Amino acid sequence: MLEFKTKTGNTYAWDDELGLFIPFPPIMRAVAKEMLSSTVPTKAEVIERLIKNFGEDDVSFYYDWLKKWKKIQPHNHDLNNYHKVSPSEAKFFLLRHGIQQLILNVTEDCNFRCKYCAFSDYYEYRRSYSKKYMSFSTAKTAIDMYFSLLEESRRYNPLRKEPAVGFYGGEPLLNFDLIKKCVDYIEREYHRFKVRYNVTTNGSLLDKDKAGWLMQHNFSIGVSIDGPEEVHDRNRIYANGNGTFKDVIKNIRPIIDVGYKNIKSLAVYDWKSDIFKIDEFFKRNDIPAIGIAAAVSSSGGGKYYSQFSEKDKEDFLRRIDAARDYYYRSIKNQGKRERSFFELLFGLGIQVTLFGPVAVSPYPLIAPCTSTCIPGRKLFVDVDGNFHACEKIPETMPFGNLTEGFNYERISNMLNDYFGYMDRCHCCGVKRACNSCFATFAEDKGFVASSEICKEIEAMKAEQFAEAFEFAEMNPEFVEFKNDLIR
Amino acid sequence: MYFRLNPECYFIQGAKRGAIFDLIEGEAYTLSSYETDLIALCEKNNPVDNDEKIFRELKRCRLGNFYSKAPFLPKLRVGSPYKDVPLNNPPEFYRAFIEINNSCNRDCWFCGYFGTKRSSGCIGCNKWKDGGELLPLERWMTLIDELRDLECRDLFITGGDLTLVWDKTLRLLDYADTKFKNIYLIMHKQSMSKRILKDVSSKAKLIIQTENLDDPPIGDIILWTVGSKGPERKSGSTLNENVVIDFTIEDASHLAKDLPIMSKIIDAHMYPFLNNMKYHPCLGHTLTICYNGNVTPCPMIRNHILGNVRDTFLYTIFEEGMDEVNKYWNLTLDKLEKCTDCEFRYACNDCRALEENLTGRLDGKKLCRYDPKEGK
Repeated sequence: MLEFKTKTGNTYAWDDELGLFIPFPPIMRAVAKEMLSSTVPTKAEVIERLIKNFGEDDVSFYYDWLKKWKKIQPHNHDLNNYHKVSPSEAKFFLLRHGIQQLILNVTEDCNFRCKYCAFSDYYEYRRSYSKKYMSFSTAKTAIDMYFSLLEESRRYNPLRKEPAVGFYGGEPLLNFDLIKKCVDYIEREYHRFKVRYNVTTNGSLLDKDKAGWLMQHNFSIGVSIDGPEEVHDRNRIYANGNGTFKDVIKNIRPIIDVGYKNIKSLAVYDWKSDIFKIDEFFKRNDIPAIGIAAAVSSSGGGKYYSQFSEKDKEDFLRRIDAARDYYYRSIKNQGKRERSFFELLFGLGIQVTLFGPVAVSPYPLIAPCTSTCIPGRKLFVDVDGNFHACEKIPETMPFGNLTEGFNYERISNMLNDYFGYMDRCHCCGVKRACNSCFATFAEDKGFVASSEICKEIEAMKAEQFAEAFEFAEMNPEFVEFKNDLIR
Repeated sequence: MYFRLNPECYFIQGAKRGAIFDLIEGEAYTLSSYETDLIALCEKNNPVDNDEKIFRELKRCRLGNFYSKAPFLPKLRVGSPYKDVPLNNPPEFYRAFIEINNSCNRDCWFCGYFGTKRSSGCIGCNKWKDGGELLPLERWMTLIDELRDLECRDLFITGGDLTLVWDKTLRLLDYADTKFKNIYLIMHKQSMSKRILKDVSSKAKLIIQTENLDDPPIGDIILWTVGSKGPERKSGSTLNENVVIDFTIEDASHLAKDLPIMSKIIDAHMYPFLNNMKYHPCLGHTLTICYNGNVTPCPMIRNHILGNVRDTFLYTIFEEGMDEVNKYWNLTLDKLEKCTDCEFRYACNDCRALEENLTGRLDGKKLCRYDPKEGK
């Protein structure tokens, strides 16, 4: 049980075995501690031991309740006897639940040199920029393989009717002709599927013609915009060091003006970011609504934060506290939640904390801990046609390629290898509420042990839980709409 | 002071009264109108008078407790609401009935052939006059592979009299072996022999249809016993854990008056209770493949045909008609006019085949004498 306390004084605990929260007042902790002793005491013995500090009626209540609580039978993996995933199990799982999205990395080239880019020198285990472009032959083979897998998987999952195809880079619009060819090819050859297309772009090449074509094909367009000009241009610059804000905004205005809704801003922040200015900026009607708000990553051997001082960090944390208070107050005053930068920063986090973890599972899970994807859930194809679990893990860990297809043996080996490195999870009190994944632990040639990375994870999670519960205590109506508790 | 039910205790409000369900112990507690109003208020974190008898009683039953500050108590749940969003997720198809033949030399008075209204006819053997040819053995074998690929867990193999096609039955049993979590074989008592018991022993669980209430239990075999008069025998009641009483209905109005309410409360444990909030307690996750290839929601609902798998793959039933499948799977008791206001709706049994047979409506309800509007 991982305990935490809210500002109101209420105490709770996260029961990681069950994936559930439970109220956990001091008396319950005392009773639980007695019940964990080597010789299991009777109720009378527990009452006798605790009667000096607590009322008999309450001790009796918590003794009975804890006994009852322990009757819940989850179907978790026993991490001490981890059942290794076989290639056939991996295949069955992926045909049922995987191949959700094909992502084509159409180029490694980019006309920006964003300071925090995952392909910058800050990231030891990630590739660098290059002039490599994906050929149509590679893209076509990848597309054929993806739809062939979808065809094979119909008998396992007949409801996968809306596959997604994404275009990623570098800056994918540098290879716009390839994107057009791919979409034309898919629409000609695979019209049976209702394909959802998406592209992640820096926006600088999104001219009228390209924008018109993307809108015509109902692309979900993610544009990287960090905030107002001075915030954006601090990190998002051209190779010559000039800011990019004006060019990006000039391109997206016409898209907004025609009322196209399937465009979102993807914002990244760091310890120097003025988050209040960012929040205000994304409330503007002439800017795409905020879709993602992400801190600069420190995984992948990231040393980005080494440039900042302790004071930078402290100042940032102060701004975060002030922003959270502001967000809570505005929620109270407005009486409703709106999609905003702060909503993503705080509100979404609260929902994920409260409802994200898998609660009591009626069936065994293929992944016993962390939230990692199974390689093949997404299919990220690099410019050379190698398959990767996602865009965030080193290229040294492919699970297949265009010649051999999905290598299920490698997938199962990757999984078993990964869980072998999760040496901290055995004794971790939040392994089922954990957001970590392959990308968190991946190094150049393999994984780093979780004991090296997750040192303060329980304390961090307890803080997140407390924050989420404080919000929920104050605003139950904003939380319970998801839970629909009272019918 | 605040009073809140424990996370494992769900409070369900009916039109007049409410009930508390302890999802760990599987117990249901009914409340008066006054108590219902009080619990509704306290579950919304309104302060309470701690002298109220009901709160002390609930604490004594280990269902809830007092808190000095308003707490946030998320309820016990299975899975995550976030993961429930059905984006490209496969269908949750867990139970299949396959009727591998439709012949029988007997003329049992309770057989589906005669249209007898039974409380649990689906689990017995039946023959039907639907017409159409039997699917060939090879198709049943490929269907078994298709069921496995759709991750179906429980397979019920039924007929007709399976002894008339015993070689075929054994071949299919051997083929299905290890592909499912549970395999059940439904036979008539008169067909049983030592050879059959030996043939089946390690491959499937036997469900034996009988009409003799005095038949003694035989090991792990489930005896499905049909009685001719319902009211004296409770539906689904067990004399022994392996003996289930089925009953026939001759006069529905008579039965409805006498049917004991609480015998219908089948399970308030967490998995079925939470499942029943999203799925019909019986039709959910279930399909039947009839002897002629027709696919129906249940062995007893013959007239709602979702498709035919003689010449097409089983998965096309979902691919082309998931909305139609969900018409039955998602027919929670919330959607039945009589049940929608009932506080027992997530812990109650319900047989749509029988209700439709009695009322002529898929959402009709006759077999319940509890009136949630009156709370009686």
